[in-house]
Amino acid sequence: MIPMEYFLTFGAILFAIGAFGVMTKKNTVIILMCIELMLNAANINFIAFSAFLGDAMGQVMVIMTISVAAAEVAVGIAIVLNAYKMRKTTDADDLTTMRW
Amino acid sequence: MDVTWITDLIGNYAAVLPMLILIVGALLLPATNYVFKKRLPVTSIAMVIVLISLVFNILLLTGTVEDGGVKSAFAHTAAGLFAYDDFSGLMILLFQIVLAIVVFVSGESNETTKLHFGAYMSLLLIATTGMMFVVTAVDLIGIFVGVECVSITSYALVALKRNDPRASEAAVKYVVIGGLSTALTIYGISMIYGALHTLTIADLGLALGAYGYSWAFILGVIAMVAGYGFKIAAAPFHMWAPDVYEGAATPVSILLATGSKKMGLAVFIKVFLVMFVAANALSGIDNDPMQYLFAIIAAITMTIGNIVAIAQHNIKRMLAYSSVAQAGYILIVMAVMSEYALTGGIFHMFTHVFMKGGAFLVVGALIFAGIGEKISDYNGLAKRAPWLAFAMMIFLMSLAGVPPLAGFTSKFVLFSGAIYGDDGVITQWIWLAFVAILNSAISLYYYVKVIRAMYIEKPAKDAKADLKLPKTFCVAIAVCAVLVVVLGIYPAPILDLCAEAASVVFAI
Repeated sequence: MIPMEYFLTFGAILFAIGAFGVMTKKNTVIILMCIELMLNAANINFIAFSAFLGDAMGQVMVIMTISVAAAEVAVGIAIVLNAYKMRKTTDADDLTTMRW
Repeated sequence: MDVTWITDLIGNYAAVLPMLILIVGALLLPATNYVFKKRLPVTSIAMVIVLISLVFNILLLTGTVEDGGVKSAFAHTAAGLFAYDDFSGLMILLFQIVLAIVVFVSGESNETTKLHFGAYMSLLLIATTGMMFVVTAVDLIGIFVGVECVSITSYALVALKRNDPRASEAAVKYVVIGGLSTALTIYGISMIYGALHTLTIADLGLALGAYGYSWAFILGVIAMVAGYGFKIAAAPFHMWAPDVYEGAATPVSILLATGSKKMGLAVFIKVFLVMFVAANALSGIDNDPMQYLFAIIAAITMTIGNIVAIAQHNIKRMLAYSSVAQAGYILIVMAVMSEYALTGGIFHMFTHVFMKGGAFLVVGALIFAGIGEKISDYNGLAKRAPWLAFAMMIFLMSLAGVPPLAGFTSKFVLFSGAIYGDDGVITQWIWLAFVAILNSAISLYYYVKVIRAMYIEKPAKDAKADLKLPKTFCVAIAVCAVLVVVLGIYPAPILDLCAEAASVVFAI
């Protein structure tokens, strides 16, 4: 059996990649994709814990997370599209009308 | 009053009855908009639905059930997922009051959408339903899904003010930061699940006592505090709040500032307060580190909120930063972790609805009348709209905590909670009470700046003397102003309810 630490490390690396992408990327669509990565890192943790604890609640939570992520991306992409129609750009660095 | 007939009628689902009514309403409203194609009938129908839900909630909150000749307060669990008790009932009441205010004024506001008004109303109802599910949830799954229900609908609500570049920018920022907070939260929950082997809130304290602090648990708690810190706009996670409140339509700003923020605080109370108090009481786990973490967050949040608010020229941004500061005051509850402080915290949430909601309502009414959002636009307002200026003065004075208004009474109970524990004076948190009082003094400066603009400065030369004010806004402002004064002078009834709710949270 694969040890628990491997799953947790994999999840942590995935989470870190996602967080790095959210901090550094300029394109808002890519930022949304990086957020998906972070959510999936948590899913991997849940699956691993669920299997090792022999408890089904973790898997229930994964289903919930997947559906929440889908809804969030659907609304997020619509909002980015709306912003693109308004300002002809999807760059996060151009969102500077309101500061402080 | 006896409410056994409700449980006889729909069984244990009585616990989620207020939410079910709102969900049915949310499904109906787009269709009514399609039929009537006007905002007034849709608003009336939505208002009726909200009031029905409100009446049933008050019945459940104050009523008793008779089971085998024994009378007891109504408390049920629906489908093993959502439990109704005095705390959740009171918080549901708060969210319903917020929703009633927002729905009431949305129909006349010139910032809300006309074309998609049915969908807009439907989203408002769904967002509030999510908040209600959060306060009734019995496990972390319910809390997570409820919070997401609120978040996703609020992104759409902010973006629904179309044709305004500020709204689209605010919506993009909100989605990105909200998504980041969701990811942090769910990662934190996964770590807590691994460390404590359970997702049920009531078992978390016992599990913490059994397993103790581990690195996974600490990582999970920090990630979860950060994730929900975004939701309540606690510093240093507050940067989105002013942008979103400025960009969104004023009724939506009211929902976010007074409703959504209270939901985040309720999550903190339901999860962390219950978990650490139970672990301390059952297994003697030392919860000092968590208390200091929350105390530092509270102190930083109120200080940053108040200091940055001084520099604002836009009134909505100023009110947003003042909201950040108010969330900092309420976080004192999390630092002190006592029943008395929690009573003050819940009471402050209630008074905050009326004073911050009222101030935003005045801003919305003035935007309708064609006055801008800058504080300098309010010059000489006392001559042009004397009653509105007077109401604004009451709300701002109450936010600053001037007696005898509601803000003073609730702040008094809340801050004294940091000094008086449940058994005598505690010296540990006197510094926190001191920081909070100092911050109240700072906040008076920027509130008085607005009052000075309204009463002392002269109006611009081209200003018209009479303003055309929206009627629904005026009614809502009047109700809020009266409640701010009444709750300040005679807080006993609502304070009793708050004390009851706090004792339910601590009865573990």
